[in-house]
Amino acid sequence: MSGQTQRLNVVPTVTMLGVMKARLIGATRGHALLKKKSDALTVQFRAILKKIVEAKTSMGDAMRNSSFSLAEAKYVAGDGVRHVVLQSVRSASLRVRSHQENVAGVKLPKFTHFVDPAAGSAAGPSNASPSLTGLARGGQQVAACRAAHVKAIEVLVELASLQTSFLTLDEAIKTTNRRVNALENVVKPRLENTISYIKGELDELEREDFFRLKKIQGYKKREIERQMIAAKQFAEEQLAEEVALKRGISVGAATNMLVAVVETISCDAGAPESHLFIEWRRFCFRQ
Amino acid sequence: MYGWEMLSFNIHDGFLEAIVRGNRSGLLTAADYNNLCQCENLDDVKMHLTATEYGPYLQNEPSPLHTTTIVEKCTLKLVDEYKHMICQATEPLSTFLQYITYGHMIDNVVLIVTGTLHERDVNELLEKCHPLGMFDSIASLAVAQNMRELYRLDLDDMNIEIMRNTLYKAYLEDFYKFCQKLGGATAEIMCDLLSFEADRRAVNITINSIGTELTRDDRRKLYSNFGLLYPYGHEELAICEDVDQVRGVMEKYPPYQSIFAKISYGESQMLDKAFYEEEVRRLCLSFEQQFHYAVFFAYIRLREQEIRNLMWISECVAQNQKNRVHDSVVFIF
Amino acid sequence: MAGRPSIPTNSSALIAIIADEDTVTGFLLAGVGNVDIRKKTNYLIVDNKTTVKQIEDAFKEFTAREDIAIVLISQYVANMIRFLVDSYNKPVPAILEIPSKDHPYDPAHDSVLSRVKYLFSSESVASDRR
Repeated sequence: MSGQTQRLNVVPTVTMLGVMKARLIGATRGHALLKKKSDALTVQFRAILKKIVEAKTSMGDAMRNSSFSLAEAKYVAGDGVRHVVLQSVRSASLRVRSHQENVAGVKLPKFTHFVDPAAGSAAGPSNASPSLTGLARGGQQVAACRAAHVKAIEVLVELASLQTSFLTLDEAIKTTNRRVNALENVVKPRLENTISYIKGELDELEREDFFRLKKIQGYKKREIERQMIAAKQFAEEQLAEEVALKRGISVGAATNMLVAVVETISCDAGAPESHLFIEWRRFCFRQ
Repeated sequence: MYGWEMLSFNIHDGFLEAIVRGNRSGLLTAADYNNLCQCENLDDVKMHLTATEYGPYLQNEPSPLHTTTIVEKCTLKLVDEYKHMICQATEPLSTFLQYITYGHMIDNVVLIVTGTLHERDVNELLEKCHPLGMFDSIASLAVAQNMRELYRLDLDDMNIEIMRNTLYKAYLEDFYKFCQKLGGATAEIMCDLLSFEADRRAVNITINSIGTELTRDDRRKLYSNFGLLYPYGHEELAICEDVDQVRGVMEKYPPYQSIFAKISYGESQMLDKAFYEEEVRRLCLSFEQQFHYAVFFAYIRLREQEIRNLMWISECVAQNQKNRVHDSVVFIF
Repeated sequence: MAGRPSIPTNSSALIAIIADEDTVTGFLLAGVGNVDIRKKTNYLIVDNKTTVKQIEDAFKEFTAREDIAIVLISQYVANMIRFLVDSYNKPVPAILEIPSKDHPYDPAHDSVLSRVKYLFSSESVASDRR
């Protein structure tokens, strides 16, 4: 992108400058806020990452224990016990509940497992039934196996919450970072460019104005000078006319005389003579 | 000493006794188990097993083996041997052999009933039945679409478990009577073995029903009406509220003292293994005598224990928990 | 947040399982299993007869069902339909790869864990750069 497209297409006026400045302030504040959010999320995210790795290892243990306890149950209660279990499934008594947790405006799902008493009572004693499974042999191992699996489910549910949080947070962080970057690299530079463009434009206008004023000033000055010269000439002419009238000499001769007088005055004296000259000029103008 | 069965036993049953004794020597030995315990993965287990009698059943299995496959194939061998024997058997041995499988039959019936109750596919259920407990009319059980109508019962899962145990009780009592009728060495040894079985069930039912909805009366009804514990032990067991009370009852009976002596107070997890060990010991003893049917019973039971052992070993190997291998393996010889 | 699906707050949801028979049995024993009126189960038992298509269908069904909050899937099963698992990106239901007893757990294959690992390394690189 060239510098031209990196700014908004606006009329460079002072009002627009104000608007742009306000927007820039807004963008900066938003950027700072989002950055903070991103940081908060990242902190959470890292905590979750650590927990996930831990939970995954503990899941390995839990699963190993539970599958081994199943082997124990099968050893004592016979292989047929699994068919009994598979056939008597009716309604889940172990369920999960999901709710949300709010971290820096991101809703994270959390799962908790619970035993649904309704499912047990509604569908007959499906809860109580396994406690009698393997009544004659292996009932305890079956119970132990169930306990191990419930424990495994606990770990798994925990892990599922973490994992879902992880994915959601990951997504949220990406979005936030994208926004932060967009603000930082696109919106803010664009606004800044616009502002500097408007400023440049305004400066240009000002310079033009200044130049114009200068120009006019100079013109006026020249005009005044011209008028002054004209006035002076006029005064001299009048004086010469006066002298000529008094003395009866021609205007040209009077002028020559006057010049000669002035020259002699300015020759033999310094400061007083100029004073005298000004006095004289005043006198001339008064005429 | 036991009547005159040695005179006539071999006429009908000599061949099969020879067969079963021959089969017995095919059971895995401690050395085999030691080798199996060294295995790193299931393929190693398979390799070791191919060197034993299980070889033909496992050698064609494709490589990603599962414990269920191993157990299935080993069971298949047992089933084949059983079928071979029952084909050769004459009365009353054939009836005796059938009696051995009734336990599995009960499990199958209960499985089908459970499945039908939950409206499962019949063919799927039949696949899951134990092959030893199959009988021709088993599928007709599931034809009754609505079990409640069929039995006019409100069958729930608890009732089903009670039904299973009531059936088993009846089976044991019937088997006991049958053996008594056979007389001779068979009666003596079998009654001993069955008494042990009945007592073991009584103890297990007691322990497993502690803290459940099963009432004392119901519990009492599930005990078989014979055995060392019958009748006074049953009365005492019926009111037991925890494992240590059960132990107190059982320690009055000398044969069971040794079992409970192995187990520390308050612990009941190892009880099953202790019972299995005692059972194996008794089953092995039955091979010491000749001219009786208990060897068939003992052989089938020992094979089943062996399959359990194999399952345990392969589970341990598959799950990489080899330190637990020796916890539950019961050496047979 | 636009584009992100909302997370339904459900008071009671199920856990679905796609795994081998033993794993499924164990969890059913724990009381996870559910069979509804139309005989729809919330679990799939994978054995050697199960086709990839069946697994795919089950996976799609479980992830589309609203009453399921978590889908547990054996890692070796997940490997069979890896492309589906990897392309799945909704937060709910959560997909969880679990080890199965016959197949030791390989963290490298876990779609989430590999992302975790990736992020860990990239974050450390990023923090170095910062």
